[in-house]
Amino acid sequence: MGTILVVAEISKGAIREASYELVAIARELASAGGHEVNGLVIGSGVGDLAKTFAGKGAGKTYVVDSAAAANYNPEVHGKAIKAAAKAANASLVLISNTPTGWDVAPRVAAGLDCAFVSDCFKASAAGADFNFVRRVFNGKLDAEISSTGQTVATIQPGAVSAFAGTSDGATEALSVDLGAKSKFVEIKIAQSTGVDLTKADVIVSGGRGVGAPEKFPEVIQPLADALGGAMGASRPVVDAGWLDHPYQVGSSGQVVAPKLYIAAGISGAIQHLVGMKASNFIIAINKDPDAPIFEVANIGVVADLFEIVPALTAAVKAAKG
Amino acid sequence: MKVMVCLKQVPHQDARLDVKSDGSWIQEDNIKFEINSYDTYAVEEALRMKDKAGAEVVVVSIGPDRVTQALRTALGMGADRAIHVNDPAAIGADALGTAKILAAIAKAESADVIFAGLMADDGNGAAIPPMVAELLDIPSATGVLAMTADGGSIKAERELEGGALEVVEMPTPCLIAIQSGANQVRYASLKGIMQAKKKPVDVKSLADLGLADSVGGTNNKTAIKKIYVPKKGDSAEILKGSTDEIVAQLVTKIKELGLL
Ligand SMILES: Cc1cc2nc3c(=O)[nH]c(=O)nc-3n(C[C@H](O)[C@H](O)[C@H](O)COP(=O)(O)OP(=O)(O)OC[C@H]3O[C@@H](n4cnc5c(N)ncnc54)[C@H](O)[C@@H]3O)c2cc1C
Ligand SMILES: Nc1ncnc2c1ncn2[C@@H]1O[C@H](COP(=O)(O)O)[C@@H](O)[C@H]1O
Repeated sequence: MGTILVVAEISKGAIREASYELVAIARELASAGGHEVNGLVIGSGVGDLAKTFAGKGAGKTYVVDSAAAANYNPEVHGKAIKAAAKAANASLVLISNTPTGWDVAPRVAAGLDCAFVSDCFKASAAGADFNFVRRVFNGKLDAEISSTGQTVATIQPGAVSAFAGTSDGATEALSVDLGAKSKFVEIKIAQSTGVDLTKADVIVSGGRGVGAPEKFPEVIQPLADALGGAMGASRPVVDAGWLDHPYQVGSSGQVVAPKLYIAAGISGAIQHLVGMKASNFIIAINKDPDAPIFEVANIGVVADLFEIVPALTAAVKAAKG
Repeated sequence: MKVMVCLKQVPHQDARLDVKSDGSWIQEDNIKFEINSYDTYAVEEALRMKDKAGAEVVVVSIGPDRVTQALRTALGMGADRAIHVNDPAAIGADALGTAKILAAIAKAESADVIFAGLMADDGNGAAIPPMVAELLDIPSATGVLAMTADGGSIKAERELEGGALEVVEMPTPCLIAIQSGANQVRYASLKGIMQAKKKPVDVKSLADLGLADSVGGTNNKTAIKKIYVPKKGDSAEILKGSTDEIVAQLVTKIKELGLL
């Protein structure tokens, strides 16, 4: 049996929590399949981080430490991961499904000419092979996927609890040619303007189901106003230019946790859910009874939002007298 | 300059998804299909390059007969040529197999820039574009929201978490996987649709691409064992009754929460 190689992701000088979630999955798979767990840390001046990773669950940890790896680059990091997968004789390479993970992981699989499964939230060993469960159709269905032979898999952050124990493991430096054709220029932080949803007690969000830009001021905003709250939206609403980006709730928008979150015409894709599932109370209005939003909602209404929302607005106004 | 756009036709976002009785995939009969949402932004970005600097835009899709419709739409928007890989083994290929087909076409076409979508709305793999780049040994960037081309060099802005963008610079040939919302996608004009009828759609088999027996079938390294509606966990309490009754229950709840 080969090893399970866990690729650490470094952010702001530290190993991300998601990397320890990979460790938890790797250790469970390893005990079922008889593998050894190995770690990989890539960066510049990362010797100490590699020792930390080796001691906190990853076991023997490979280090690619080079000025060329100071910033993330899919070619550089891809070369480092491919080299480590070979050095470790990895049966499985685990990478977090983050903007860097989903950028580099498919390159690694293609370079190794091996199986690739992305954004999994469950993994199990099946003899020498692996099985995974992942969401498809933007959250509406689940798929069970099997892989044969060497496999690269990305794991959804938050899918399992992070490993919090310790391990014994040495670090081993790998020397890899890290030449790349592309180059990192800079990180730009978008300046936030105006709407700060994180301060609102009540947020009423509309999704693609609202159907047209004028319906936001006509239907969604009045309920938000009646409740003394703010209006929010899902990404497709912002992509279509119906509302500006500051209104977007989700992994690439604002992460909110109001006392009450009302989702109208929002299906509940994972990228939206991570932005609002910590809300104290969630009401979902959707005409599809199978919409995944009902999984995180406290109360669900299976109906046309254009019937419920205006009636609710009127009732709230009446209740306030 | 030659620009290639990889596009997939997927079930319409509002299509009813019924799982086949054997759990292998969804029932595709009697549902509407459309161009993958992310790919519409990719087509638009390619056409903007063409409008600005002049380029030949070739749209490429792997899929069954119905895919002709998606390719015709892209031609109607302004793409110049289409390549349709219509071969059962290609249609049944896993992500890496699909990437091998697209890489072979990019190579044969000597594409300077390859556009793709960040992910397909059906399988949500977000897998194929970086694979194509790796197979061609060219640079790639995924989740791109904005880009500028300057001679043989492209600057692209990738979306990260928390509102951050990563700026990267790549020489051509390179691959760019576009994130949704990168631009406002044009519609195919009536004139465009008329002209599209005269534009060539090249139908190819795997044998035509020199890939017979090398992708799909037993070459696949991953397989879908089954798909299903996720098991309901701790789901919401679903309110019953007329609109008035439902609204009354909601108001009671909002009062309990101390928000009214
Ligand atoms: C990297 C990445 C980042 C992303 N970031 C975000 C993010 O920050 N935020 C975000 O929201 N998404 C994000 N997404 C997109 C996400 O995957 C989904 O595509 C999106 O959340 C879907 O939005 P929606 O629910 O409004 O639309 P859909 O999924 O199309 O759902 C529309 C819903 O409306 C319902 N509906 C239609 N008409 C009515 C009616 N009259 N009454 C009641 N219900 C109705 C339908 O049943 C359906 O459930 C991201 C995706 C990626 C890949
Ligand atoms: N069958 C296909 N034909 C052409 N391009 C495809 C096909 N499948 C995927 N792609 C491209 O790869 C992108 C990502 O798809 P995926 O990796 O399947 O999520 C899509 O947005 C398309 O640009």
